[in-house]
Amino acid sequence: MMSLNMLSRSVTRTALLSSKRLGPVSFFSNNDSHSDFAPQRKTISDDDEALKMIHEHVQTNHIMLYMKGNPSMPMCGFSATVVKILKDQGVDFSSVNVLDYPSIREGVKKYSEWPTIPQLYVGGEFIGGCDIITEMHKTGELADLLKPEKSDDKKE
Amino acid sequence: MNIIQSTTKFATASVVSRFARFQNRFLISQKGPCRGTSNYNNATSTMEDIAAHPVETSIRLKINSSLTPNYLQVINESHMHNVPNGSETHFKVVIVSPEFDGAPSLLKRHRMVNSILAEELEGPVHALSIVAKTPKQWEKMTEENIEISPSPSCRGGDGTLPKR
Repeated sequence: MMSLNMLSRSVTRTALLSSKRLGPVSFFSNNDSHSDFAPQRKTISDDDEALKMIHEHVQTNHIMLYMKGNPSMPMCGFSATVVKILKDQGVDFSSVNVLDYPSIREGVKKYSEWPTIPQLYVGGEFIGGCDIITEMHKTGELADLLKPEKSDDKKE
Repeated sequence: MNIIQSTTKFATASVVSRFARFQNRFLISQKGPCRGTSNYNNATSTMEDIAAHPVETSIRLKINSSLTPNYLQVINESHMHNVPNGSETHFKVVIVSPEFDGAPSLLKRHRMVNSILAEELEGPVHALSIVAKTPKQWEKMTEENIEISPSPSCRGGDGTLPKR
């Protein structure tokens, strides 16, 4: 039984609105200390709906991570590595726990034509999985890619 | 540091008797900068190995055939994860190939490997870590003694694979 869990972890008003609008996306901020969420159940009925949802996710959230588990409790070492890298980069990002949504788990593989999770999107573009993100982090390429998002000025 | 680079031609055999006639062994060097965690200590693949490790063998065969690598290491990392002993679900591949000269982007290289191993990835392989280097990059890594990082440890899994 699949359900859509609307998570509302947020720090900024923009993030809160974003989370409510997009379904199962949770927003993680490095400034956030605790999450409150109010689950709202909805069924993802088919593959097309999942693909549309994914498209909206990646277009609306500048840094979008499809992972196993959530940033506070990853359920996969590869996902945990990407989360740690993003935290080290000091950026806020949105995420979906694909373990809760099998249709999104399969849909995101079709969307990116990439067979594994985690998957990181920046600016609507698929960047890669754990290996690529790790390598880009080492070379500094990831920092350059994420540079516009590294702002100490947080909107309150 | 010397890297013994070796690939030998490997002829597939879907039938045991055919394989016996075309029996080949190929050696994967244990020297080189790769220090990734591995339970792969046997550098020689025999008919028994193929029967015991069909997925690993298939991966090696396909990469050898498609990318003619100068260096190839296929590491079964399943033992690092919450799956039964003897599983072939999690792999790391270290590939050094001149084919990557025409693919400077990591994403493109990884997509090449994913494409080669599409059947495995749709089937038994749950996770695939890829290190894809050109010969020049590999040589530089060797000179600088840069090691391949081991894959991250398991966080318990997602419950879809049979547990230990």
